[in-house]
Amino acid sequence: MSHPFEHRRPTELEDKAHAEAVRHFAEHLKQFPASREAVERLERDVAKVALAANMAAARPTPHQNVIQADDGAQWHKDVDLMENIHLCHRPITGGAEYAVVEHFPARDTYEIWNRGWNASEVLKVFTQEQRQALQVWREDMTAQVQEFLTEKFPGQDLSRVADAFIYKCTTQSVFQKQSHDHSHEQKHSRGMRI
Amino acid sequence: METIPKTETPPNPTPPERLAYSIQEAAEMLGVNYFSVYRLIQRGKLKPCRVLRGKLLVPRTELLKLLATE
Repeated sequence: MSHPFEHRRPTELEDKAHAEAVRHFAEHLKQFPASREAVERLERDVAKVALAANMAAARPTPHQNVIQADDGAQWHKDVDLMENIHLCHRPITGGAEYAVVEHFPARDTYEIWNRGWNASEVLKVFTQEQRQALQVWREDMTAQVQEFLTEKFPGQDLSRVADAFIYKCTTQSVFQKQSHDHSHEQKHSRGMRI
Repeated sequence: METIPKTETPPNPTPPERLAYSIQEAAEMLGVNYFSVYRLIQRGKLKPCRVLRGKLLVPRTELLKLLATE
């Protein structure tokens, strides 16, 4: 996917609309790249994380890392995958069973996402589901941005602005975002278009 | 001196309860980040409805159901 403004520079109105969308959806712009990168990192590290879980399953677990999940069984937390989401194992005859477990702090409950005898497979299923959740997010964000632009600038075709916003969300890295924030004012003072 | 009789002001009517919330509002109400709400939707734990242009709204009943069953 190429940047929607790559071949034709944005008009003044598009520039203004884009700036307003970025301001209005700042939280999406902050959270989406961070979540996307967390999923990408996990996809890259499936083998490493699975190995870490296998090794953890082979040695005794400290007492504080043992939790009771919603299936009633005791699970041993091995690796933190994301905020409040852990890869766990429980010893079974002849080996270990693995599960991705999410902690809901408000109720202090642990819910199993998916489970299996192969840590790597359990992780792969989990990352696929994360991808699907990101896709749901992307579609919703597109609809929200389109709605916002239609209400704010009625009668204008700002489809390129909506596309540019989604492009920014889906390609920008958290690091880029941080450096962008630092240099934003400086660039604007030189009349550059972002 | 005559005093003007006080007229009793009617109590503020309670605003009607919302039927549905945006993902941002749902995340705030549940105390989680946006991704968690989209994950709950992806897993079928929250059933949203689609409104104009496909924007997602989470019915209030779904949020209550989630909190009751969690």
